[in-house]
Amino acid sequence: MRQLNFRRTGSGLASLASPARLLRAVARLPSAVALPRGEGFGVLGVIYAAVFTVVALLASIPVVALVLGSLRDSAPGLPGHWTWANWANLASPGVVETLLTTLEVAGLTTAFAMVIGTALALIIHRTDFRWSAAMTAMLGLSFYFPSFILAMAWIVIGSPGGLINDVLRDGMGIESVSVDIYGVTGIVFVMVLHQVPFAYLTMRGPIMGMDPSYEEAARTAGASPLTMLRRVTLPMLSYALASSALLSLVMALEQFGIPVLIGVPGRVTVLATQIYLLCRFPPTAYGLAAAIGLTLAAITAAAILLQRRLARGGRAVVTTGKAGRITPIPLGAWRWPANLFCGVYIAMGLVLPSLILLYTSLIKFFTANPFDAAFTWRNYVYVWNSEATQQAILNTMLVSGGGALIGVLLGAACSYFTVRLQPTGYRVLDMLVMLPFGVPGVVLGLGLLWAYAYLPVPLYGTLTLIVLAYVTRFLPYATETAGARFVQLDRSLEEAAWTAGASRQSGVWRIVLPLSLPSLQSGYFLLFMAFFREISATILIFTASTSVLSVSIWAFFEQANWGLASALSILAMILMLAVMSLLLWAMPGARQR
Amino acid sequence: MMGITVRGLVKTYGATTVIDTISFDVADGEFVTLLGPSGCGKTTTLRCIAGLDTPNGGLIAINGRVVSDAREGVFVAPHKRDLGMVFQSYAIWPHLTVAQNVAFPLTVKGERNTGSAVGWALDIVGMTHLAERRPSELSGGQQQRVALARAIAARPQVLLFDEPLSNLDARLRDRTRLEISRIQRELKVPALYVTHDQTEALSMSDRVIVMEAGRVVQQGTPRELYHRPVNRFVADFIGSANFLEVRRAERQWHLADGTPIQVDPLSDAGGTEPRVALLRPEAIRLDAGSVVEQNSTLNRLTGSVLGAMYLGPHIEYVVAAGGAHIRAFSRLELPPGSPVTLTFAADDCRLVDDTAASPKRNPASDYPRQSPILENIP
Ligand SMILES: Nc1ncnc2c1ncn2[C@@H]1O[C@H](COP(=O)(O)OP(=O)(O)O)[C@@H](O)[C@H]1O
Ligand SMILES: [Mg+2]
Repeated sequence: MRQLNFRRTGSGLASLASPARLLRAVARLPSAVALPRGEGFGVLGVIYAAVFTVVALLASIPVVALVLGSLRDSAPGLPGHWTWANWANLASPGVVETLLTTLEVAGLTTAFAMVIGTALALIIHRTDFRWSAAMTAMLGLSFYFPSFILAMAWIVIGSPGGLINDVLRDGMGIESVSVDIYGVTGIVFVMVLHQVPFAYLTMRGPIMGMDPSYEEAARTAGASPLTMLRRVTLPMLSYALASSALLSLVMALEQFGIPVLIGVPGRVTVLATQIYLLCRFPPTAYGLAAAIGLTLAAITAAAILLQRRLARGGRAVVTTGKAGRITPIPLGAWRWPANLFCGVYIAMGLVLPSLILLYTSLIKFFTANPFDAAFTWRNYVYVWNSEATQQAILNTMLVSGGGALIGVLLGAACSYFTVRLQPTGYRVLDMLVMLPFGVPGVVLGLGLLWAYAYLPVPLYGTLTLIVLAYVTRFLPYATETAGARFVQLDRSLEEAAWTAGASRQSGVWRIVLPLSLPSLQSGYFLLFMAFFREISATILIFTASTSVLSVSIWAFFEQANWGLASALSILAMILMLAVMSLLLWAMPGARQR
Repeated sequence: MMGITVRGLVKTYGATTVIDTISFDVADGEFVTLLGPSGCGKTTTLRCIAGLDTPNGGLIAINGRVVSDAREGVFVAPHKRDLGMVFQSYAIWPHLTVAQNVAFPLTVKGERNTGSAVGWALDIVGMTHLAERRPSELSGGQQQRVALARAIAARPQVLLFDEPLSNLDARLRDRTRLEISRIQRELKVPALYVTHDQTEALSMSDRVIVMEAGRVVQQGTPRELYHRPVNRFVADFIGSANFLEVRRAERQWHLADGTPIQVDPLSDAGGTEPRVALLRPEAIRLDAGSVVEQNSTLNRLTGSVLGAMYLGPHIEYVVAAGGAHIRAFSRLELPPGSPVTLTFAADDCRLVDDTAASPKRNPASDYPRQSPILENIP
């Protein structure tokens, strides 16, 4: 018998694991059954039509604009001609080389991140590791650590004039060895740090949800813990591993903040940054950028399609939903290596970058030796008093707070239709929602840039356009969190309301909404955090009055103003932590697993 | 007409026809059960009546009002059908208290003063003291009662039940069975009850409708179904049964080994092809040894014990007799191989149709001889 449990598990930051649920949900198949369509459904019918239209516009406008843009020989809004030249130029050595670099960077990143993330998940959830709760919390925090801030911190540490070289030269007098982060290795290194929490979160669910009897059967058949891990656990997780790796690959392919900060000075270009460079630096080539964008989107979309097929096939194999108590594997002699492994990751991915930024934000001139440093508040004073910054903070809060609300409501409505009511055309709606999921942020921004240069809607240069971009990009987060809940909610709960005399609308209002509130809250939390740190979709469409925090931080950094950039990063992260705590306090649902 | 009327109901999913043109009535105040093996379309039929599924053909009327007519395109939404339904999963809303759950059918219609109706419904199921509890704090049996109270709270015109007892343990099931019967009689509304459990069907219903693969095989009172099943499927599904292959030679029926046997003349339409005779184990008297006395109205077969299963009240024996394996009950303790005599009246041995639709299966001859469940009695 099914019991819906309202107990709240975990607490605070320890369980910011909603992304894991989201990713599990991405893999799901809507298994619901068609409902009677005999009666026109009144208010809901109107809402359906509205939702359908909005989603169709959101998803198709940037894509169509990109396709058209890729066939133009001019910048958006300027007179020009139709041409195939942009597509022909894809074969130019420059673009091909960039494509190869992109695949190299993304492939390496995925491989390392998957190994480290899976190892972490196994250590934390399968062994008698002592610091599980703390590690889970830290990994949750590093998941929300913005990629471009991480890149900035590591540039401060590893660039030719940075911390490590300073220590080597001035501290130890070593001239022969030097470190240079500006290169493929540096990009991959920081991207791995950034994506490990994602790999961990996606692998954690399958690892924890695995039916313990499979492993127990292996143990009783005489397998040692290591043999069991090698011959039963990992093979059984292979579908989950493959599906998680594909999602990691997509993230790595569309990663923008890290390759733009580290790659541009080092002359390493990936597709995402090439699009940006082609649009921002003369001679601009918007049409070629659009063609590259579509190519990149096609690659990521293929990976996502493959992932969904894999996930579909593999779901039944691994989890049976009867997660039980699993006897932890004793670490024994491996205890200290395991502790060290976890500690080093947290140090490099979270603690060290934060401390470095704090340090850089408090000094006048950069030096690796804190005893030489002249400490000052002036960066904070400047940032605090700057009207541009204040505007950016206000914009960020508006876009994240309001945009996430719009996103969650729209996403929940979509899911209700696609999972529950399934009216005519619901499959198209489902597809439309997922469409932008494979479109990298920069590409989406470029699409909107093309679209609103021509469309007779005065959206360019407004916060609305930024909200549109974010909602489009992250709508699948909302539909999948809400959809996962709707799938899980026993149909008969809603049917019982109908047979008891409730109309469809009042069934939604009185039964479905209250029962899905926790996942709507966690959807809001996810969207808020995603909007707060988003930079790739914004970078091509912001204007002076619509700048957001991420863009401001990045602008300071681009002007080589490490102090101001660090100070604003620290402020942004404090703000983010404050909002996080506030949201978690106000919305217990966001805390749920 | 009061009650539920179903005429020519058809439901298909894609290419598969799940309900194939079925018709039946539930009279006012009558308790009717849909009985059949899992997957035969009982739930689908009930959901069509509730309006949770849209039929592809046929007509459904509730208390004289047509609620669904595929040809005319009539379809009344579930919330306008004035139903009380108990779901197999109970579907108790976890975010509402027991009292709020029960009050829902009233409040949703805009009624403010729900106190007395909720009190009445909770009283009927004996849950008044738990009114303020959350569903998660209730046992399965208690949740089941809340579902029942919720179904009757608004005094609906019909009651629908979808295997409401299947999640309860055996003892609780017996008690709740009686309770549901009592409540339905008190409310005097037509009730349609879906189950795959013959005991539930026989003990609660005024009438039972046996379904197989989307069709109605037989409808009748529990007694009719037990004593005069129309075919082997119904006989097998209701009660336990031996099926004896018989063939006619010169106006006399014979068992497989040629032993002559008398059958119920009312079931004998006079054909000459081989038939199947139904013989209920409980209609057989089993005696140790060979009884020689002759009696023209009784059939008497001699055979030997193949195996036995201890069931408590009696022992179920499998006896090799007349060229068949026959199950019979007795309280005697007999070791395997013992000679026994089976005695039964001609009226208890009825010829039935051996339907091709159901898989051919003889439970007695399916008995494995060396099965661990067969107990060797010393
Ligand atoms: N939504 C559906 N789609 C396809 N087939 C279905 C659907 N619902 C039920 N069925 C099929 O219809 C048949 C009857 O189902 P059901 O009415 O639930 O049987 P019962 O309640 O008698 O066990 C089954 O074979 C089942 O697989
Ligand atoms: Mg059923």
